[in-house]
Amino acid sequence: MVDCTALKERLPDLLTETIDKAGREETHRHIEDCESCQLEWIAYRDTWRILGELPEVAVPARAKARFAAEIEKLSPVAPVAPVVAFRHRPIARWLSQAAAVVVLVGGSFFLGQRTSVPEYQTAASIDGVSSLPFSIAETRVLPASDVSPEIQGRPQIQNVRFLEAKSGSGDVGIAFDVTSHVTVTGKPEDKSLVSLLSYVLQNHDNPNLSRSDTIEWVRETYGSRGVADPAIVKALANVLKNDTHEGVRIKAVETLNDIPPASAPEARLALIEALRNDPNPAVRIKAIEALANLAKSGDSYDPATVDMLREKASQPDENLYVRVKAAEALSQINL
Amino acid sequence: MKHLSDQDLMKLVQSGDFSPAAEIFDRYSGRIYNFAYRFLKNSEAAEDATQEVFVKMLKHAKQFHGDAKLSTWLFSITANHCRDYLRKADNKAKESEETLIMLPSPREHGPDRNLERREDEIRVQNALAALTPEQREAILLSRYQGLSYAEIAEISGCSEGAVKTRVFRAMETLKKTLASDAGGGTRWLTALH
Repeated sequence: MVDCTALKERLPDLLTETIDKAGREETHRHIEDCESCQLEWIAYRDTWRILGELPEVAVPARAKARFAAEIEKLSPVAPVAPVVAFRHRPIARWLSQAAAVVVLVGGSFFLGQRTSVPEYQTAASIDGVSSLPFSIAETRVLPASDVSPEIQGRPQIQNVRFLEAKSGSGDVGIAFDVTSHVTVTGKPEDKSLVSLLSYVLQNHDNPNLSRSDTIEWVRETYGSRGVADPAIVKALANVLKNDTHEGVRIKAVETLNDIPPASAPEARLALIEALRNDPNPAVRIKAIEALANLAKSGDSYDPATVDMLREKASQPDENLYVRVKAAEALSQINL
Repeated sequence: MKHLSDQDLMKLVQSGDFSPAAEIFDRYSGRIYNFAYRFLKNSEAAEDATQEVFVKMLKHAKQFHGDAKLSTWLFSITANHCRDYLRKADNKAKESEETLIMLPSPREHGPDRNLERREDEIRVQNALAALTPEQREAILLSRYQGLSYAEIAEISGCSEGAVKTRVFRAMETLKKTLASDAGGGTRWLTALH
C-alpha cells in the first residue's frame, strides 16, 4: 500500500498521465480510501483545471510581418545574370563608381605625365585632376581612349551592362561598377567625413560591420569632442526612428545622450519623439534617462521635455516601469 | 506547403529554400508566443522572442535533425532565449511589469462574468509569476504544451527526474498561491480550502 507522502508526489503524474496502469490503479485506490489524500487530489485537479482556463494570447499581427522581412533579408541571394555574380552592395556600388573614376582619371593623368602619346590624354581629364573634388556618387562615361588597356590584378566588377552601337558612330559601351577600397581621412568635423558617416549610418548595408558598431564608433569619435555636427545628430535620430532592432535604437539613444551639448536641441527632439512613439519600453526608458541627463546638463530645463515626462508619468496605459522612470526623472530635474 | 510535414518543410529550409518559413511560422508561432509570453510576462519581449526563435530556425536549420520533433527543437530555442532574457539583470528588474496585463475575454459572457474571468486570469498569471523560472518552464511546457517529461527534459537540458520534481514543486506552489487567493472570495477554488 502506497503511503500518503509517496502518493502526493504521484499526483502530478496522474494529471499528466505519465504514470503506468498499475501505479494509476494503486493511486486511485488509495485516494478512495484516504480522506486527506482525496482532498489533496481534488485540490491538484482543480489547480490543473484552473491553469488550463488561461486563454490563448493572439500573436501580434506585426510579428509575422517582421518575420517576413527577416526571411527576405536572410534568403540566399540568387545569382545575378550578367557576367559575374557578386553580392549586392549598394554602398560599395557608389564608392566603387567613384573609385573607378579616380583610378581611371588618375591613371590617365600619370600616363599623360610619363608619356608623350597624346591619344591617352584629354585636356579635360588632365587639367581637372589637381582640383577635381572626389565625388563619391559620380557616374562617368569615358571614351575607350582614356582608359589604359592594362587591367592589373582581378578587379571586382559587377552590374555589367552592354550598350548597343549608336547609329552613325558605331561606338559600343560596357557599363559596370568596380569595387575598390577607398579610405577617406580627415578631422571628425570635416563636412565630407560627416556626410559620409551620416550616409553610412542611415544606409548601412555592410555584412562585416553592424549598425551598432557604427554607432559605437560615432559615440567614441564625437562623444569626447567639443562639438558634433547636427548632421550626425540627425542621422542618429533617423536610426532611432526607423531601425527595427531595439538594440540598435537603444544604442542610438545612448549616443545621443553622449554627444556634446551643442547638439542638445536636435538630440532632445529625437529623444522626445522616441519617448512618445517607440514601441519598445526599454527604448523609452533609455530615452527618459537621456532626456533627464540633457535637462540636468543645461542651464535651464526644456519645457517640452518636462511636459513629455509628465505625460508619461501619468499615462495610465503606459508601461509601469516607464511611468516610474518618468516620475523619477521629473524628481531629478530641478524645476 | 500545408500538406507537407514539418520534416519535409525543414528539409527545404536546410537546402536554402526559405519559402516554407512562413508556413512553419503559422504552425508554431502561436505556441511559441504564448509560451514566451507566460514565461516572460511581457508581450513585447515575447514578440521579440518569437521573432528570434524563427530567425534562429532559419540560420541554424542544419542543426535540426529529422528524427526529432520540430516543436521540441523550437521550444528548446525559445526556452534558451527566455532563460537568457531573464538572466540579464536589467530584464529581471522589469520581470513583473506586465503581471497585471488585461487578457481578452470571451464576448458571450456579461460584463460581470467578464470581469470575474479577467480577475481569475490575473490570479493565474500572478501565481505562475511566483514560480522559479525552472518550475515555470516545466509547468508551461507540461500544462500548456502537453509535452512529455522526456521532451521537457530535452528542452530544459535536465533529467526526467528533475522535470518531475519541478512540476511537483510548481504544482505545490500554485496550489497554495491559488488557495490563498481563493480566500479572497473567488468561487473556483472552493476545493482548495
